[in-house]
Amino acid sequence: MKIFVEMAKCENHGQCAISAPNNFELDSDGNLRYQESFGEEDLHDIEDAIDSCPLQAISLDRDPTYA
Amino acid sequence: MAQEPETLHLDISSEYFRMDSEEVRKARSIHWYARTDWGMAVLSYEDSSFLLKHPLLTQGSAKWPAQHGVTEGHFDRWWQKTLLVLEGDEHNRIRRLVNPAFSPRRIQPLHERFRSLANSLIDDWVGVGKTEFASRFAAPYATRILCMILGIDERDWKKIHQLASTIGLGLGITIQENIARIDEAIAELTRYAKFLVRSRRQSPRDDILSTLVETRDTDDGKLSDQELINLIILLIFAGIDTTRNQLALSVEAFSKQPDQWEKLAANPDHYAAKAVEEALRVNPIGRWISREAADTIQHKERTIEKGTTLHLFTLTSATDPAAFDNPDRIDLDAERAPHFAFGGGIHHCLGHFVARADIGIALSAMATRMKDLRVEEGAEWLPDSGNTGANKLPITFSRRF
Ligand code: HEM
Ligand code: SF4
Repeated sequence: MKIFVEMAKCENHGQCAISAPNNFELDSDGNLRYQESFGEEDLHDIEDAIDSCPLQAISLDRDPTYA
Repeated sequence: MAQEPETLHLDISSEYFRMDSEEVRKARSIHWYARTDWGMAVLSYEDSSFLLKHPLLTQGSAKWPAQHGVTEGHFDRWWQKTLLVLEGDEHNRIRRLVNPAFSPRRIQPLHERFRSLANSLIDDWVGVGKTEFASRFAAPYATRILCMILGIDERDWKKIHQLASTIGLGLGITIQENIARIDEAIAELTRYAKFLVRSRRQSPRDDILSTLVETRDTDDGKLSDQELINLIILLIFAGIDTTRNQLALSVEAFSKQPDQWEKLAANPDHYAAKAVEEALRVNPIGRWISREAADTIQHKERTIEKGTTLHLFTLTSATDPAAFDNPDRIDLDAERAPHFAFGGGIHHCLGHFVARADIGIALSAMATRMKDLRVEEGAEWLPDSGNTGANKLPITFSRRF
């Protein structure tokens, strides 16, 4: 599975970085940076980030190569 | 030295000041900010969007009671520990624990209850073609929805509404003369909240409060009883008057554009969400979002000194012609950039999915049953600054069925 953020929707509120700091952060210009791949131990935090995003811009995409 | 750009001064504390005015439009066309007696007023969309989420611009409300002579007591102690005022790790730890309980997924199952509440309130007066909207719809609707979330008996709504209004006085400039009543209301809500937390710990239900009571995280532990009590009072403080007034402001905005009201009525499932966004864009309850510079920052040509207060004007930024076509009109078919009526960054409104859902359901229920909506003489509006709204809103309409 991979993290996917619809960047056209993202407004850089950073709620995702509060929920899942290992996977999302705001850079020094305040823009979202995130890692697509993640470890199983972060899954719960990432699900919280998906719930928390005010723009509902985050989803988990199943990587077709592992389907 | 670069020449200082010309900026206008806006008299935002005057009773004649209007957000939707030529004066403000002119100030916005001249420069991205204007001066006020209470700090900078940020006017343009682009600059509001950037500054709203700036990490060195904090919420800045912590000092509000002290600035108005209140330095102790129940209200002050509660205020200093609310999410709205906390910053950094202390804020983020709580926010992270509570966010999931307010997600669209968790709100969805409540939609049917919102709808039957809306329809039952409308039933009471739809036959007579007129009502006083603030007390006959907005107040009971907004308060009873908060009761549903917290699992409070809805028959107690008048009491809760009264307590919410009293603690709301804590945001007024008359806080000091009202502080005894305000402190008493906080004490009463604290007792009530303690009882709610205790009863949900013993026997969980399917309300959001039960979800919050059960929340646990391997890193951040769980919410303590004190944190839960503070949060319950904050939800009552932040969720009722805002929604109540936003309903009135939405009705006012749509009464001026019957064509868009008809569009909503013809296809509420399709247009409800847009209707809410457009109402919040052109007529938001929070006329500005406040920020305070925690450190000196440079933005464009302007050095913003540490301690400077900024008011990010919501209606003004969300009707900026640089970012929106035909900006002052509600257009349910337009693709619009997001407005900032719910603030942004780490303090972005926690309850926005609740508010968006319940306002959309209320507007749809009204549009499908009422046409020719008009605001009549005798409306009592709050000042057009800070948090605005209507204490009285007489409306007339014709019934569709
Ligand atoms: C139309 C209705 C509403 C509007 C316009 C509104 C607006 C806002 C705004 C502007 C803020 C501050 C954001 C910032 O400083 O960037 C805020 C914060 C907050 N709101 Fe709302 N609100 C509404 C309804 C609600 C409801 C229904 C609830 C609860 C169920 C709620 C709970 C909160 C809380 C807890 C905060 C503090 C969040 C934090 O500081 O982390 N609001 N809201
Ligand atoms: S919470 Fe959503 S909008 Fe905010 S930075 Fe993360 S992805 Fe973007």
